[in-house]
Amino acid sequence: MTHKEDLSDINKLISDIKQKKLITSYEIALKTEEIVEALISKRNWKHADELMDLIKLCIKFCTECLPQEATATNIMRHILKVIREEFEVVSKKKTEIQSLHQLVTANPNDVLDYTTPLKDLKMSLLDHLSEYKVELETSTDNIATQAAEHIHTNEIILTVGKSNLVEKFLKNAAKKRSINVIVLEQAPLYQGHEMAARLAKANIQTTIIPDSAVFAMMSRVNKVIIGTHTVLANGGLRAASGVHSIALAAKRYSVPVMVLSHMYKFSPIYSASHKQEAFNVMASPANVLPYSSGPILNKVQVLNPVFDYVPPELVTLFISHQGGNAPSYVYRLLSELYHQDDYYL
Amino acid sequence: MEEQKIKQYFLKIIKEEEDVSIGVAAIRTLLEIIRQSKSETVQELELILKDAINIMKNLNIPVAGITSGCELFLRFITLTTLDASLKEVRARMLERGQMFLKKLNESRNKIVRIASDFILDGSSILTHSRSRVVLQTLIEASKQQRQFHVFVTISAPDDSGKHMHKDLEAAGIPCTIILDSAIGYIMEQVNFIMVGAESVVESGGIVNKVGSYTMAVCAKEMKKPFYVLTESFKFTRLFPLNQTDLPAEYKYNSEKRKNIDLQKAHPLVDYTPPSYITLLFTDLGILTPSAISDELIKLYL
Repeated sequence: MTHKEDLSDINKLISDIKQKKLITSYEIALKTEEIVEALISKRNWKHADELMDLIKLCIKFCTECLPQEATATNIMRHILKVIREEFEVVSKKKTEIQSLHQLVTANPNDVLDYTTPLKDLKMSLLDHLSEYKVELETSTDNIATQAAEHIHTNEIILTVGKSNLVEKFLKNAAKKRSINVIVLEQAPLYQGHEMAARLAKANIQTTIIPDSAVFAMMSRVNKVIIGTHTVLANGGLRAASGVHSIALAAKRYSVPVMVLSHMYKFSPIYSASHKQEAFNVMASPANVLPYSSGPILNKVQVLNPVFDYVPPELVTLFISHQGGNAPSYVYRLLSELYHQDDYYL
Repeated sequence: MEEQKIKQYFLKIIKEEEDVSIGVAAIRTLLEIIRQSKSETVQELELILKDAINIMKNLNIPVAGITSGCELFLRFITLTTLDASLKEVRARMLERGQMFLKKLNESRNKIVRIASDFILDGSSILTHSRSRVVLQTLIEASKQQRQFHVFVTISAPDDSGKHMHKDLEAAGIPCTIILDSAIGYIMEQVNFIMVGAESVVESGGIVNKVGSYTMAVCAKEMKKPFYVLTESFKFTRLFPLNQTDLPAEYKYNSEKRKNIDLQKAHPLVDYTPPSYITLLFTDLGILTPSAISDELIKLYL
């Protein structure tokens, strides 16, 4: 089998993401899981090592084509860990993760040989993956049900742009409490307008303000609740452009910043990892300055970056389906999600 | 082994093998003691090792590295000890000890690999004193054709920065030596700070050559990332609350401890609290300071 055939599914996934056929991270996550599941069940692999190499190849391919897209690779990286775990269960051997303790106690005979063929591995892997799929599907609801723990009556919540997860979270809170939501419109795509419309439809007190008014409004805000594109390994965020200034304003007024995030958004990547230019994407400048603007187009340079880096000091809490965690705890979540050997491929 | 022999063996490693850190040299000495020991019981062996550690600590060499390395090794001995005859136990200790040592020797390469990715083209880096792992990381980044500039402090009182400067120049890396008092002056020009550590304490802070704390406070104020490169065998069970709380054996060499009023002596190391450290690059991966206590708890539970 050639590599091209090997990766045709992944190729499709990448082009779907690029052409915006898959827009939300949730869609990407589900699709990726399906692809890997199909790969495990249909492909003729002989042992865990071969399968892992195949998935690693997919990850490398994805990172190369879409360096900013962390969801797909995170799902695959997590499945690598699932394979390692299932292998240990089926073969009844155990390894310890790399730690100071392991450094001291390791035995030379403890190294696992993933090339041992195991009959039951495929079945138990598929079982595990269907469980994982349910986890993905229920993640949004699980996060949303925590809303009442974090939002109190008559609080003023500030959010930005459009996020399905934040929308569900706020609606859930509004079922039990009366809340007041301020939505930043998020120029130049103005996705905040749609978000505000949806919240208003659910009978939530909603105010929409321009991005520039964030500092003026912050003094009366009780909580900032936002979504993010990726959570980086140091607890920082790769979030929508403009979030950094919101977080700074929140810090100035000591307003807590809560970030809602699915587990698959936690990425073992640091912002300063080599290829810094891969951090951001530039969107079409037409939204900032339309092509119909005339002669000024030749005279100015128009930039429309998509992402902001938000340092971990500015984030108060991450809320995932496992509950709330501080940014300093992200490393721990990562070690539960992924195997250390798969962090950097 | 008698006292004199232990001293000789230990000092010989330090003198002849420049690349070996003090902790590893101490561990190698302890392994050699096990090999030659004629002790009858494990307990006796442990006593002999503890005596040897005390001997090494009194040789006018920075104690921080020796303490953490030996502590880890003693833990290793405890965890290896089995219900078997001492002869078997000793054989196993030696075998696993060699493996342990091999891992320690590999750890620096691991750090170099992950840390050199953080050195971007066109960056300016500030470093303090001389650290072997920082030096190798810089050399590795330069081998990957990255262009960057390094500022090195002279680092009184032993002027170890001069040695670092010489090594960097030999590797063809553009570098400038600065006064220790010029840390504040230079800070606005650098992108980040990269230092080594003599030991990493339980809070996630570090004990390092005096002046590191000054640099970290300065870096925090000017919002520059402060990176620490350190091997995991330097993790120590110590929780200093402030500078005076650091053990005297860390701060002053053995000769001073015996002869001089410590109020009047200059400390050799200082303690940098975790809040000033951005990330620690270790052979266990890139860790935030809070991850350190996790690792230590797992080991000494």
